[in-house]
Amino acid sequence: MFKFARVLAMAMFCVAVCGQAWAADIKIGLMCPLTGKWASEGLEMKNIVSLLVDETNARGGINGNKVQLVIEDDAGDPRTAALAAQKLASAGVVAAIGTYGSAVTEASQNIFDESEIVQIGTGSTSVRLTEKGMPLFFRTCPRDDAQGKSAANAIARGNFKKIALLHDNSSYAKGLADQTGQALEKAGIPVIFFDALTPGERDYTAILTKLKAADPDLVFYTGYYPETGMLLRQKKEMAWPVPMMGGDASNHQDLVKTAGKDAAAGYFFISPPLPQDLDSAEAAHFLESYKKAYSSTPVSIWGIMAGDAYKAIEAALAAGQTDSQKMGAWLKGMKDLPVLSGSLGFDAKGDRVGEFYRVYKVNKDGVFELQPAQVAQ
Amino acid sequence: MKRRPLYITLGICICILPFVANAYWIDVCVMIGLYALLSLSLNVMLGQAGIFNMGHAAFFAVGAYVTAILNTMYKWPVFWTMLPAGAIAALFAFMVALPIIHLRGDYLLIVTIGIVEIVRIALINDVFGLTGGSNGIFGISRPYFFGFKIVKGIQFYYLVWGMVAISMLLFYGLWKSRFGRALNCIKEDDIAAEGCGINVTGCKIMAFTLGAFWAGMAGTVYAAKMVTIAPESFNFMASVILFAVVILSGGSQVGVLVSVFLFIGLPEALREFSESRMMIFGLAMMLMMIWRPQGLLPCLPRQYPQARKDEG
Amino acid sequence: MEQFLQQLLNGLAVGGIYALVALGYTMVYGVLKLINFAHGDLFTIGAYFGFTLLVSWNLSGLLPPVVAVLAVFIMVSLLVAIIGWVLERAAYRPLRNAGRLSAVVSALGASIFFENAIMLIYGARVYVYPDFLRPEFTISLWGMQVPAMRMLIIVASIALMLALWAFIQRTRMGAAIRAVAIDPGAAVLMGVNVDRVISIVFLIGPGLGGAAGLMVGIYYGQIDFLMGWTYGLKAFTAAILGGIGNIPGAMLGGFLLGVTEALAAGYIAMAWKDAVAFLVLILILIIRPTGILGERTADKL
Repeated sequence: MFKFARVLAMAMFCVAVCGQAWAADIKIGLMCPLTGKWASEGLEMKNIVSLLVDETNARGGINGNKVQLVIEDDAGDPRTAALAAQKLASAGVVAAIGTYGSAVTEASQNIFDESEIVQIGTGSTSVRLTEKGMPLFFRTCPRDDAQGKSAANAIARGNFKKIALLHDNSSYAKGLADQTGQALEKAGIPVIFFDALTPGERDYTAILTKLKAADPDLVFYTGYYPETGMLLRQKKEMAWPVPMMGGDASNHQDLVKTAGKDAAAGYFFISPPLPQDLDSAEAAHFLESYKKAYSSTPVSIWGIMAGDAYKAIEAALAAGQTDSQKMGAWLKGMKDLPVLSGSLGFDAKGDRVGEFYRVYKVNKDGVFELQPAQVAQ
Repeated sequence: MKRRPLYITLGICICILPFVANAYWIDVCVMIGLYALLSLSLNVMLGQAGIFNMGHAAFFAVGAYVTAILNTMYKWPVFWTMLPAGAIAALFAFMVALPIIHLRGDYLLIVTIGIVEIVRIALINDVFGLTGGSNGIFGISRPYFFGFKIVKGIQFYYLVWGMVAISMLLFYGLWKSRFGRALNCIKEDDIAAEGCGINVTGCKIMAFTLGAFWAGMAGTVYAAKMVTIAPESFNFMASVILFAVVILSGGSQVGVLVSVFLFIGLPEALREFSESRMMIFGLAMMLMMIWRPQGLLPCLPRQYPQARKDEG
Repeated sequence: MEQFLQQLLNGLAVGGIYALVALGYTMVYGVLKLINFAHGDLFTIGAYFGFTLLVSWNLSGLLPPVVAVLAVFIMVSLLVAIIGWVLERAAYRPLRNAGRLSAVVSALGASIFFENAIMLIYGARVYVYPDFLRPEFTISLWGMQVPAMRMLIIVASIALMLALWAFIQRTRMGAAIRAVAIDPGAAVLMGVNVDRVISIVFLIGPGLGGAAGLMVGIYYGQIDFLMGWTYGLKAFTAAILGGIGNIPGAMLGGFLLGVTEALAAGYIAMAWKDAVAFLVLILILIIRPTGILGERTADKL
């Protein structure tokens, strides 16, 4: 029976030892889902940010200080996220990047706020996150309402008259569907169908049958690419030619693979542009080193957003802002920082400035084609 | 087997832990304490009465949401919501238990899984416009304990573990009582229990309701600690973890404590392994069960004063 | 009306897959009284093995598609059956004499282990089976266009159920399995090798699960490491609904669950589909406490 006591004592000893922070390096935290449902996004975030950190260190660090990246898994679960945030705070990071999912980010917000650490959200688009007036919270991803407006514009320009909105009840997709619905209502375009599917399933024929009976001009599914792919594929099997569009969560190359080229052709979505579609030097350089390190191109936008967040923190540190309050103030004044997805600046709330949504369309060969910029404006 | 030294070591460790651990581990231990509360309450039904409940997170969720709603919409202080949270969770448990409590073993198991899923889906779909959908509810205020605001991890730590200590005393009293003996009897053989004149259905419903009451109160503490709650925290997996904690414990209260440390502490201790930590955790779960098939610390046989006199 | 028929058919196709997975569940349960929560993950392993064989080893390119698919079906079933057998040896046999729930916890641990092992080996992204493996043609049925693959899944699950049922009812081994299911102690006395019977059950159940995983992979195309959890839970529900331990019951439960979900999605609200399905399950269990085809055993004397 003493075994347990011994184990416990040992655990406590480890805690005491590990608790001592190492000195010298600048620590930057990254919190992302490395296990669980969104593990693929988390791994991409980890890959991209580690790559950027290595580059910084190869250049000799920031003002002569090496950067040490502390990565914690939040498992896409609010409870684990709160602990991961606490772990980062205890590790003494100067700023934290992350995480994916609005509800998950929200669970970590208070902890970073109370520990006075700058946090830059990457895949947390829910409007209310920056409406709470937290001085140290930023995000590199745009908000749902901004995307909702862009989506409504794209719909209006396409001359679609009867819209079906479909989401997956995740806080992101639901938020986008709600915001798009409001924007459409203002524009006088009727939403004739609004419902949610269960993500993670394979068979969406029941839902498609119901949608078909409602006879919309356009189906806007606001959720993620795996379900989008299945919807497109099964829609084609039903021989139902209605056009479909999506949000930035469908900006993932696996979508075409799942749907098949024929079924995906004509599908369009709005998203911030991926580096491979930008002609900036920053993007080209990043793409080259990413290809060298992982022998592929980035497949998802959220990892890029994490990279942008790192770039912002790096710039702040390079400007000598190591104190978190000052760093927060500096970031709020930051404008036009060249980052992986274009240029980055924050407003007073901590939201990303500027409209940078673009329309992508899938062509016959299953390639995402960036549409001319004026289409999205 | 002498267990007293174990109790004392465990107790002392828990008391002094916050002085040696950093903020992160204190927060982990707050979570462990919270799950200890939940597991102790599940132990009343699953460990003591043998009611297969794999949906305990449902009652936890009800409690947390009652607190969140009363606090954010009606501005009740958090501690005042603790009783209503427990009571509504208990009422909910009572109502669902009535028609299903007679189901045997695995049929009850799937029904409780069904209940936790229905609750989660209802919360996600913003039932009655109260639960805030998949975003959940945010801005829950911090609790005041006799005018003393509880904010820091260490304050929550002592609050939670204080509650655990009180619960353990109360549940120990329950175990010693006639009702506790009746529950154990039902677990061993419910037909025999019926034959002994025990009201089996009544006792099971009582145990179910009582466990749910405690889970609801734990929900209050959870809501106060997290400040924001979302339906994803109350999914089936949370229930599975609670279920596994109670089974691995073997049914005794100290067993529950040890096992909850393993189940909630281990994934955190394995953070070094990043992506592979959950795989190691799964493996550990199997190995621990194989190592002690009856659970870590099964209940000691009851001793009655009468019996001891006979032996002497 | 056409929409109703269409939804019915959608439900039957989904239900066919639930039924296939539920057969393995119910087999194992019938003999060991163990809810094998790792069954869903064995199903996932089947889907991933199939992908490795067909795409990475390029069997689908070397052989004609039909031959390749059939060969891979056999190989996947065998491989997953072996994993199931090892799982039983390692994780369940030591717990056979402990409380029933101890083995359930071990099964949950195994499920977490497999899920994350797949994630580590294959990565967390989704994999997609090539298109040409699926028969493309559709059948016209009462004015509805029905993909042939859907009919195939429904027919396959019925055929497998019948084969399994015949195996249990008609062969010597089947008789031994039934004997162990009824009373392992008495079966030993009658000269049945209980360990061997359980091993065989753990070859058949996971083998079927693996085949179902491959079928889902080929039909729906997309596989991910968490798919087994969803299908496993649904299949478990289906098995209970039909009366767990009962082979025709598993199939009936699967089809019923699939149809309930489709109709709930079509006529109530898609977001509430799973809640409605569970509600129906609870109602049925209140009326029939051991499932639709479950035997009404007298509790005890």
